[in-house]
Amino acid sequence: MRLALPVFLGGLVGTGLRLGIDQALPHTDTAFPVSTLIANTLGALALGWLVAGLWTRPGLPAWVKAALGTGLLGSFTTYSAVMVSLVALVAAGASALGWVYLAATLLLGFGAAALGLRLGALLRHRTLADIPDAGSTL
Amino acid sequence: MSAWLVLGVLAAGGAAAVVRFLVSRALPVGPGRLPFGVLIVNVAGSLIGGVVLGLAERAAVSDDVRLILLTGVCGGLTTFSTWSVETVELALTGRWRAGILNLTATLFLGFLVCGAGYVLSR
Repeated sequence: MRLALPVFLGGLVGTGLRLGIDQALPHTDTAFPVSTLIANTLGALALGWLVAGLWTRPGLPAWVKAALGTGLLGSFTTYSAVMVSLVALVAAGASALGWVYLAATLLLGFGAAALGLRLGALLRHRTLADIPDAGSTL
Repeated sequence: MSAWLVLGVLAAGGAAAVVRFLVSRALPVGPGRLPFGVLIVNVAGSLIGGVVLGLAERAAVSDDVRLILLTGVCGGLTTFSTWSVETVELALTGRWRAGILNLTATLFLGFLVCGAGYVLSR
């Protein structure tokens, strides 16, 4: 439970950054949500890099993972906003745009996660097979 | 946007992140197994998001409350980064079936409950 505080503080900052991008690139319910796409892609890239890089350093305090991974990047990125935008677009009769948005999110987001993992492993001179299964520690 | 509203969104996001953390903690993932904790919070957040979207459409919740619930609560509770990194990790380490299941189950259930929540609440 002592990790709840770093998660809360990281979550506060991550939510603030996402809110900032939303405000900088506002979109209506029936328009393409560029801000969410940017946040999710950047967040997946950063988390991939951390998981394969920083996380593999021996002796890394648990609160660092809790604050940066679970808190900051977990809250900076969002899954619900992707589903809400998809449902809103489909309901507004803009299904094609909705599915293009979902495809772009999956392509860019999962591509960024893979790139981040590769970069993190490369910088630590390891292969991905050496990365301990992060599981619930993310 | 007032400072109080921003503070409300941020506090909701931080608190929801703690809920996500506790759910993941309660459901630890074995190596190569499906990360159920993240699946559950992502589907639960999508359901709440759909309900809020429907309520907001018939003006049952104000714009401020909608922002706190969607950007704060749902945004903080759900995560894209953990979902994508864990799925890619499963695939890259040869556990294709678990990876594909994690991808499709999250997408199918998330869209289903979000759509149902929206249709039933609007």
